[in-house]
Amino acid sequence: MQQNANPPDNTDTSPAPRSGGARRGFLKVLTALLGTVATVLVGVPFMGYVFGIRKRRVYWVNLGPVSDYTPQQTQLKTFDNPLKQPWDGMTAENAVYVRYEGKDEDQRDQFLVFSVNCAHLGCPVSWFPQSELFLCPCHGGVYYADGAHASGPPPRGLYHCVWRVRRGELEVRAPHYPTLHDTLKQTSVG
Amino acid sequence: MKQDSPMMQHLKHAAAWCDHRLGISEVWLPMMRHPVPKSVEGPMGWWYVFGSASLTFLMIQILTGIGLAMVYVPSASEAYESLLYLDYEQPLGWFLRALHYYAGSGMVVMVLVHMTQVFLQGAYKYPRELTWVVGVFLLLCVLGMFFSGQILRWDPDAYWGLAVAGSMAGRVPFLGPVIVHTLLGGDIIGGESLSRFFTLHVFVIPGALLGLLAVHLWLVLRCGVSKPPRPGESVDPRTYDAEYEQELKNGVPFLGEAMVKDMLFSALATIVVVLIASILGPKGPTDPPLPTMGGANPRPEWPFLWIFAMLALSPRDVETFIMLVFPVVVIVILVLVPFVSNRGERSPSRRPVAVLVVIVTYTALGVLTYLGATAPWSPKMHAWTGDAIPVSMVERSNVSELVGSTVFQYKNCRNCHALDGIGGRRGPDLTDVGTRLTRDQLIDQVSNGTPGGGLMPAFGKQITPAEMTILVDFLVSLRPEGTKPAGWATPEPSLGEAPPQAAASTDDRDET
Amino acid sequence: MRHAAVTYGAALAAMLAAGCGYTPPGKPNPADRPRTPAQITDFDFLFQQNCTGCHGDDGKFGPAPPLNDPIFLAIVPDAELLDVITNGRDGTPMPAFARRLEGPLEEDQIKIIAEGLKKHWKSSKLSEDKLPPYTVAAKDEATSTADTEAGKKVFARACASCHGDNGQGSSEGHKPGRINDPDLLSLMSNQTLRRIIITGRPDLGMPSFAEDDGRPGDYQPLTSEEIDALVALLASWRNQPRSGATVTLNVRK
Repeated sequence: MQQNANPPDNTDTSPAPRSGGARRGFLKVLTALLGTVATVLVGVPFMGYVFGIRKRRVYWVNLGPVSDYTPQQTQLKTFDNPLKQPWDGMTAENAVYVRYEGKDEDQRDQFLVFSVNCAHLGCPVSWFPQSELFLCPCHGGVYYADGAHASGPPPRGLYHCVWRVRRGELEVRAPHYPTLHDTLKQTSVG
Repeated sequence: MKQDSPMMQHLKHAAAWCDHRLGISEVWLPMMRHPVPKSVEGPMGWWYVFGSASLTFLMIQILTGIGLAMVYVPSASEAYESLLYLDYEQPLGWFLRALHYYAGSGMVVMVLVHMTQVFLQGAYKYPRELTWVVGVFLLLCVLGMFFSGQILRWDPDAYWGLAVAGSMAGRVPFLGPVIVHTLLGGDIIGGESLSRFFTLHVFVIPGALLGLLAVHLWLVLRCGVSKPPRPGESVDPRTYDAEYEQELKNGVPFLGEAMVKDMLFSALATIVVVLIASILGPKGPTDPPLPTMGGANPRPEWPFLWIFAMLALSPRDVETFIMLVFPVVVIVILVLVPFVSNRGERSPSRRPVAVLVVIVTYTALGVLTYLGATAPWSPKMHAWTGDAIPVSMVERSNVSELVGSTVFQYKNCRNCHALDGIGGRRGPDLTDVGTRLTRDQLIDQVSNGTPGGGLMPAFGKQITPAEMTILVDFLVSLRPEGTKPAGWATPEPSLGEAPPQAAASTDDRDET
Repeated sequence: MRHAAVTYGAALAAMLAAGCGYTPPGKPNPADRPRTPAQITDFDFLFQQNCTGCHGDDGKFGPAPPLNDPIFLAIVPDAELLDVITNGRDGTPMPAFARRLEGPLEEDQIKIIAEGLKKHWKSSKLSEDKLPPYTVAAKDEATSTADTEAGKKVFARACASCHGDNGQGSSEGHKPGRINDPDLLSLMSNQTLRRIIITGRPDLGMPSFAEDDGRPGDYQPLTSEEIDALVALLASWRNQPRSGATVTLNVRK
């Protein structure tokens, strides 16, 4: 509490013997150098551990034969997300909305596959087949059946998943948690 | 003086040895006995109890937190089960969970009250600026504890709370995806996300909090307890130290009368929190954290309801700004408070602006929190099947209007529109819509939604002409008994001599 | 006041510490363990959340046909209830409730509602054999002119006094309104029409097939064939050109 309890310590500034001065200077530089190296040696791996990003692997999730889908109908499809960690439990059970659009002029099956996460803040949207709208319970974002933004705060339409049809079966690329700058169209972060 | 027994002598000797090595009577006792201004002993001293009450709650949190950590399993697949085990199996597990929640809530309240008192009484002014700044970061720690704690309650609110946090962080330009990945600890919300928040809640934030708290308390000791303000007494950094030193000459030791108030209040606050916990019981967990479960309706914890409300009410264009920049602005403003005004009057009666700031801030927070709790912007997901059409409307309806009201329900209109106050509140209550909109206006509104991308989506593609006709029959009928539909009595001049189309078609369908 | 609080708190702490028989109100009851929406099996709750919107609280006084109706429950086949709740009625505002059709309910929950309706509201006084059968003869499309002609005669006897000679509504008053509107009829299935003719709307004052309120003095209960004929007549009105205002749908961009 007493600010001036001790007289000022002048030992550092008092002139030192020449030979000792050089040695002390060297020691200081060496200490700073080794200290920096030591800090980097511990710090960099640690930062890498915490902030490091595993390469996002591409998995394809089978969502059943195309013949199971009715044209112009949207359904919730659940699956065990292969992007999970082994101890994820039920939280690895993810879902997407699948809408079968029928065949295009080249007789290729066309699908719309949406993330359930609202493009506003990620809450789970609910599909209402009667009004053909997706409603978000959090801030009231609304989307049309084709995923386009209908009303409310979302800055864009629903996130589209990447899909393909292999041997008559619909497959979806395992979706990561989608955000505004990291949509499901991307394979890697950033 | 009576000679001590040899045993006693040994003990005293040991005590003196410890005291000499630890410096308790040399350093710590004077610190505890440091004088505080005499008037703290008086009734004004009751203003000074909130900081120590926060500290008391912190100790309860540490105690209950240690207890909970003995049973809780921070694993995505087992956390939920371990919470249920705490609630139903572990003796008094429910009580510890309840106390941890309500003492945590109490801590937020006490910290806010403490901060408000310091602000109103100008206690942050010279030389206590840094105490305030450290306090601001302590508040952030407490809020961080609250948020990370909610995540550990591994239910849908936690799961979707993480989703919201991820989405907000994901809006950061360029770095967003990296931040999201760091926050969630992976590509999806799951085990590592929970572990990261467990680490934050149990190691990182408590560590920061205790470190900051040590600095905060040291600053309280070093700068001394502020004198209760009196109108007319002004802080001048050039003379304050001398005046304060003079003041302390008549001071009273903190370890004494002044501390009694703190202890009494802390004890009372603790008892209240224990009572609340034992009456209200533990909060949640609600449903299991199953991402595919329908009908999830996530809500943030009460300290964050105001942010929830702000995000719902802010225009789309400024939303990202509110999410990312606004919190920084608030923190910077709070940190700058003692540097903007670190001198002058301290008494609230001489600082109307400060009082006004407090009133406006708390009113805004209160209104936003209320809105966040009621969330009128959220569609009511079960309204279309669960909220009956008011019997009075059913009884007065003709066949078309009856079927029209089932179309109203079927098309999920009720999820956003109330009838007689029951139903969703995202859109306007339609009880009297027949007096406001004409038949043609209603058809246009339903078909094309709110003009200019407003709140109502367009139903044009999702409704058949027959459904539309019958639905609008019902909507036109929504008006008090005996009143004419909108557009009936006041034909718009622009339409010339012909009766307005709306009225004509209503006539055609309504009264036949 | 403070003294009391302190005493109570101390007593509570002592009891908590002793772990004795006292149970504070906050102690969770194992019976209240959280259940997911799919695990709810309580008829009252399921009915309230899924049916009252259209069928009314307690299954009556809603816009849709009442489910809490003794005649209806006496004649409706169990399989029909199960089927309609599961799949809805196409083209009408009765939605499908089955999860696989993106409805909100699991199969066993639908069963609980379907079976619960009769369990809760079916009256033992009414016997099915004295009532016309529930199931409609003519499907929505199949209507013969013969039926229509027969239907006109039955209509004049049983319906015209309230609904007008051609179903155009009564000359006085707002209710019951026009029932020959093709738009309206397109949203009601033949099965629903038959059901309404049989049961009436006891909650809203429409008589059943047997009651003579407001009908001619010599009124006789309608036979099953007469009801079919009425349905055929209404179905023929459904196919009239739409008279209502044409709805212009601005297609969104």
